[in-house]
Amino acid sequence: MLAALPLSAIPAEDEALRPAIRAFLAEHVPQIPPERRARSWMGFDAGFSRALGGQGWLGLTFPEEYGGAGRGPFARYVLVEELLAAGAPVSAHWIADRQSGPLILRFGTEAQRRFHLPRICRGESFFCIGMSEPDTGSDLASVSTRAVREAGGWRLNGAKIWTTNAHHSHYMIALVRSSGTAQDRHKGLSQFIIDLSLPGVRISPIRDLAGDAHFSEVVFEDVLLPEDALVGEEGAGWAQVNAELAFERSGPERVLSSAVLLDEWIGWLRAGAADAASTALLGRLLGHLAVLRAMSVAVTDRLVRGESPVVEAALVKDLGTEFEQAVPALLEDRLGADPAREPPAALLRALAYTSAMAPSYSLRGGTREILRGMIARGMGLR
Amino acid sequence: MTDDLLARAAAELFARHAAPAAVRAIQEGGPADALWAAVEEAGFADALVPEAAGGAGLALSEALPVLLAAGRAAAPLPLGETMLARAALAGAGLEVPPGPIALAEALPGEVPRGRIAAAGPAAWVLLPRPEGGAWLLPADGATREDSSSYGAVLRWASAGNARALPQADWLAAGAFATLAGMAGALERMLEETVRYAGERRQFGRPIAAFQAVQQQISLMTEDVFAARIAAQLAALPGGSGVAGLDTARVAAAKARIGEAASRAAGIAHAVHGAMGITAEVDLHLWTGLLHRGRLRFGAEGHWNAWLGAEFLRGADAESLAFVRARLAPPPLEETTP
Ligand SMILES: Cc1cc2nc3c(=O)[nH]c(=O)nc-3n(C[C@H](O)[C@H](O)[C@H](O)COP(=O)(O)OP(=O)(O)OC[C@H]3O[C@@H](n4cnc5c(N)ncnc54)[C@H](O)[C@@H]3O)c2cc1C
Repeated sequence: MLAALPLSAIPAEDEALRPAIRAFLAEHVPQIPPERRARSWMGFDAGFSRALGGQGWLGLTFPEEYGGAGRGPFARYVLVEELLAAGAPVSAHWIADRQSGPLILRFGTEAQRRFHLPRICRGESFFCIGMSEPDTGSDLASVSTRAVREAGGWRLNGAKIWTTNAHHSHYMIALVRSSGTAQDRHKGLSQFIIDLSLPGVRISPIRDLAGDAHFSEVVFEDVLLPEDALVGEEGAGWAQVNAELAFERSGPERVLSSAVLLDEWIGWLRAGAADAASTALLGRLLGHLAVLRAMSVAVTDRLVRGESPVVEAALVKDLGTEFEQAVPALLEDRLGADPAREPPAALLRALAYTSAMAPSYSLRGGTREILRGMIARGMGLR
Repeated sequence: MTDDLLARAAAELFARHAAPAAVRAIQEGGPADALWAAVEEAGFADALVPEAAGGAGLALSEALPVLLAAGRAAAPLPLGETMLARAALAGAGLEVPPGPIALAEALPGEVPRGRIAAAGPAAWVLLPRPEGGAWLLPADGATREDSSSYGAVLRWASAGNARALPQADWLAAGAFATLAGMAGALERMLEETVRYAGERRQFGRPIAAFQAVQQQISLMTEDVFAARIAAQLAALPGGSGVAGLDTARVAAAKARIGEAASRAAGIAHAVHGAMGITAEVDLHLWTGLLHRGRLRFGAEGHWNAWLGAEFLRGADAESLAFVRARLAPPPLEETTP
């Protein structure tokens, strides 16, 4: 049985970052129309990411010697909350800052750290994650992209798919098989940092249902990787990937994906559209948001203490994505409750985008069913 | 006493004096004297009364473990209600009378009327007044009207010379006492459901081995964790209500826990199958507490509307800004180790 999460608060020194971030965002973000801001952490703008790097806000948690700010996870928590609440286009640096950088810091060699981390902090080096393949989704251990050892490095063949931002990225960190066969499951998997400009890498963007081309298929044909493309230990890829996933499941991005839509609707309510049913729905959503945020902060506090709250993080993600999906579902009903009333077109465009993409919230980062399986294991049911 | 020690002391007390058989007996109208005496003996009912006035001087958040433990036992006692009423009486410099105090939801009428818990002891009833403030009325001076398990409706011929308490948000106080018990009951119900799923076998396996059952219990786990943290949010001190309660935090927590209660009770019953419908199995002690608690002192509909209106009364443009300012613990100042 899991122990209850103790309530925690964000340290005042990290809260102190908030005003400067808000001021920066007030200057850079409001010009962007709501339906673009609704893209949340899928909105791409390399220039914006470089500007954030210029403020010293990329790699906040990386040590100063690698170009970071040496801050703790709560500093980044505050930053990410503000970015997402504003609907800032963060996707260019998102994966490098959240996942790839910390992975390199933790498992990489000194040379890999010195090479990659400062570039990530300056917003010059963007990363993508190569886990999924055409025949590998939830069953991640079944990856069949293969790296074979050769003199001076590795020869890579296979394909990755649904790779967010592959066509905008400089590097991919991929999970591939480096020994054995698919029957070996978790054994024989390794992670590689793949320079996407190498010969033999072919990237084909895939158009999504909202009309964006934010993810791609990436095919590797006899790509020759140098020796130092391997990150971490050969054969330890499975453990490394799981450490990586735990960190990406409980942050503000699992609660705030629909925040832009919610706040656009609030703006309309404030402009005179608030009736009793809308007011009650607003109260309900605020209550849910408050409880989820408290849970997310509590899990972050565990991470800060060096614990590994894998099951608790799965719990936050499943509950958080349910909330994020409920926002557009409930607002479709609300905004159509009185056919004689005309919601602003920009609000409806933000709703259309969010409603269309909401199903992805409970797919990316592990599907709802997989997360519930993890929770069941934590409860001793399996 | 640290949280843990207090929680353990409360768990032991309720295990001894509020085992399921004792709870059933009280619910059926039997005396609660022994249970209440044990609670008084432990000092729980005076937990929020300042030390100078003879209490333990605990903050709400420190007393929460006791209320969770009472909820886990489904103890039919107005314990949270008495704690809050005594804190308010002591705070107003009024004498604290002996015996349990039930908080009432005020009802309309020519004479003082209100609804208290249907079961459990009450020597006194704290009844909010339409014009603000509250009366402390003797329970044995009341006439009982047509009632239900959701609450006993009591009427007094007049307030007489009842003690009068100053203005306070008593609905929020009652909601807090209720939601804390509900959060405890939810945890116990989850544990019992997990245990049952491991014991009951069908198709040659424990039903816990079926993915459909696992996924349902995972959902329930999420709601129970959400309810617990909601109760902790509501118990944060610093508000202007009774014993430092803040109505906005209580509103969010009562509504969220009400939702959790409805969904989780449904799953618990589904997992228990027909066995859960029997009087003999204890499951209904918790589901009953949850259903009653949902309705008492404002259900989701009431508190969601209140919270939405409160947001619109303010000037925040963003949901997150409101949540940070009104529905979160204050930032943690550097503490010296
Ligand atoms: C917007 C978006 C961005 C993404 N970005 C990336 C990226 O950058 N890099 C990357 O590697 N991947 C990315 N993905 C892929 C994502 O990780 C996968 O979608 C996810 O792992 C699920 O795999 P799948 O889509 O193949 O679904 P499948 O695994 O085929 O699942 C389909 C359905 O079957 C259910 N299912 C599968 N197995 C079980 C089981 N054992 N028990 C019960 N139910 C089961 C699933 O829960 C789901 O409901 C992205 C996906 C989306 C939607």
